[in-house]
Amino acid sequence: MAFTMRAVKVPPNSASLEEARHRVFDFFKQACRSIPTIMEIYNLEDVVTPAQLRSSIAQQIRRNQEVTNPKVIDMLLFKGMEELNNIVEHAKQRHHVIGQYVIGEQGLVKDTASKDQGGSEFLKKFYTSNYF
Amino acid sequence: MAAAALRPAILRRIRLSPSPSFSQPFAAAAAAAASHPHALARWLSRPMSSHDAHLTREEVVDRVLDVLKSHPKVDLSKVNPDAHFEKDLGLDSLDTVEVVMAIEEEFKLEIPDREADKIDSLPLAIEYVSNHPMAA
Repeated sequence: MAFTMRAVKVPPNSASLEEARHRVFDFFKQACRSIPTIMEIYNLEDVVTPAQLRSSIAQQIRRNQEVTNPKVIDMLLFKGMEELNNIVEHAKQRHHVIGQYVIGEQGLVKDTASKDQGGSEFLKKFYTSNYF
Repeated sequence: MAAAALRPAILRRIRLSPSPSFSQPFAAAAAAAASHPHALARWLSRPMSSHDAHLTREEVVDRVLDVLKSHPKVDLSKVNPDAHFEKDLGLDSLDTVEVVMAIEEEFKLEIPDREADKIDSLPLAIEYVSNHPMAA
């Protein structure tokens, strides 16, 4: 089984922001290279193109682009790596992948628009991210 | 006995030309045969070889520009074969990596990290792909 093929071991912390940045790009490349496998495992051929998946991965990475502490970046990378492992080893299911990466959070919130009548600005910001 | 000894001598003198009876319906093959019979013989005897299957520079340029145009953040009017990803097209470093990965997918390549780091403009990308022996 290809379960623990990827390194989920914690490497020593990045010495500098530059090294952390380099690791982010390595992680992104690794994720992009697993896209064909993911599309095959979850039968996403008719649902989404590899380019759209690449964009959505990039969007997730960009959400945390303001972080400057290398240790925080390492922690985020570890979580990202864990998520990638989960997806590649089929621990998630198709609706998880579609809901989180193909449609994205906005897609799901749109469908609950009817409940959102008294929607306050606070709630809208709360749904998008933790930091506002 | 004598026949067995003569056999290699006889075989050496028989030359079988590859018969074009299993015809591949490519117009290019017909044109090649007309102009250059050696090329046809070579092509028929090595049909699965990628030795002569090089991409032309024009094809590489077209395909790389298509890859760039299909990126959501790229402004179509600024795409030309001399564009720099960050300076001319306004992409940031993550977008550059994404474009390089898209090029990898298009040409079925795997670009090592130290080479990928240097590719930050279109002329460099086109040159890398053209010089790569495995570009498909």
